[in-house]
Amino acid sequence: MRLENVWLRYHRRGPWVLRDVDVRIGPGEVAVVLGRNGVGKSTLLQVAAGVLRPGRGRVVDRPARVGWVPERFPADQPFTVSGYLTGMARVAGLGSSAADKAVTTWTQRLGLDAFSSVRLPELSKGTAQKVGLAQAMLRRPGLLVLDEPWEGLDATTRELVPELIDEVLADGGTVLVSDHRGETVRLPAARRWSVAAGVLTEETAPTGEEAVAVVEVAVPAARVASTVARLRAEGHQILRVRADTSITAPQARPAAAPLRPTGEPALDQPEGADAVEQAAGEAR
Amino acid sequence: MTALVRMRLAGFLRTGRALAPLLAGLVVLGTLYGGGRSQPAEAYGVSAVVLFPVLAWQTRILLDIEPDVQRRLAQVTVGVARERLAGLLAAGVAALVAVAVALLFPWLVGGVTGPVEPGDRSVPVGIALGLWAHLLAVPAAVALGALASRASVGGAAYGVAVLALGGVGAVALGLRGSVAPWLVPPIMATARTTAGDAAALTLLGLTLWAVAWSAAVTVGYLWRRRAQG
Repeated sequence: MRLENVWLRYHRRGPWVLRDVDVRIGPGEVAVVLGRNGVGKSTLLQVAAGVLRPGRGRVVDRPARVGWVPERFPADQPFTVSGYLTGMARVAGLGSSAADKAVTTWTQRLGLDAFSSVRLPELSKGTAQKVGLAQAMLRRPGLLVLDEPWEGLDATTRELVPELIDEVLADGGTVLVSDHRGETVRLPAARRWSVAAGVLTEETAPTGEEAVAVVEVAVPAARVASTVARLRAEGHQILRVRADTSITAPQARPAAAPLRPTGEPALDQPEGADAVEQAAGEAR
Repeated sequence: MTALVRMRLAGFLRTGRALAPLLAGLVVLGTLYGGGRSQPAEAYGVSAVVLFPVLAWQTRILLDIEPDVQRRLAQVTVGVARERLAGLLAAGVAALVAVAVALLFPWLVGGVTGPVEPGDRSVPVGIALGLWAHLLAVPAAVALGALASRASVGGAAYGVAVLALGGVGAVALGLRGSVAPWLVPPIMATARTTAGDAAALTLLGLTLWAVAWSAAVTVGYLWRRRAQG
């Protein structure tokens, strides 16, 4: 698939959101779209998915089946989870039994079984996001476009996203994904497209000794200050310290590793982090 | 595409917002037939006129119920052309159901009568003409409602303006002696025809007029959708 000299603006006299974007991506490749808020990441993804039509330029060789996971799933619909997914499976061209099978498979994989009969407006943000993920995967897409797919997901499902991406890639599909949480370091083979002021540039990933990964480590709250100090003394860079109430025994998750590239500050701060922050502050 | 039509109809029915145009339609039909009995062709001609804005409003509601992002998801899944067509078809199906109710309604409330004088049309001919009058109104109302939908005009206020202009204009510019009757669908001319002499050539002319008007407004809707991205 190729975006050929794509320009896009939302209004005739408005500013260009994308400027002369010319980029190619092939089957089996994944690209991460990076950039600050409002620079055009979602716009670029929507152009690639076929949601938005470029004002100038064109998109060629887009795979026939596209799965798009929007940044916010539209939960304001009068369907239950299973009713919605079955409907979308049929819309995607699956027959009745194939649709049922696909819905069963993806509700189970994404942990949506318990919500099958729950109406979409009653879902939490994270669960609704899972429904958004499921609808894109019901029929294996040739192009999977994920707009901030990790947003609001629980730890288990966050781990599942790279798995789904790998499955699409293994089938010869192409994946585009945006992320501002730094979760995409879980995709070490991904190309990195940086968007700034509507212009796309491809970053060269650091290799060898320059390569950096982020390891998330759970430690008892009482030992935060000493651990931070020790790690810093060993030359590691501390990106952030946060509370994680989902972990009761730190030892149970020794290597949960949402990896984050150095230099990308964490933007979110879970509730309940104050106490840990205070402890960490002593070490800063 | 059939699945998308079904899904949109299901969304329309389940929100309960389908009730508003249904009740409005029943109110105007009740008012229409509450005044006395008339012969089917004449009654149905007027019924098509009063239903026209209701069907357009119903179409707008049906299309607006779907969140914008869901509409884009449908577009990604089935393609641009099929997504547009599915919306129009769903609105058309809903309008046909309303037409069926409108055709049955006067028989349930005793609002129609058979031939009274020699030379009056028979009941089957009257029903056929009434069906024709309503079927002419359906594509025009669907096209107008689609043009007034959020995906086409953006803001709700613009949509209301388009609906109001279309509904009032269809009556005002459709009056006998209008300077620009071709600007609106021929629902008034159709009502006059069903009440008077319905020559075959006149019926054909009105049919072509209605089809051409509906096609032009549908093209306008599709152009607006393209412009909106």
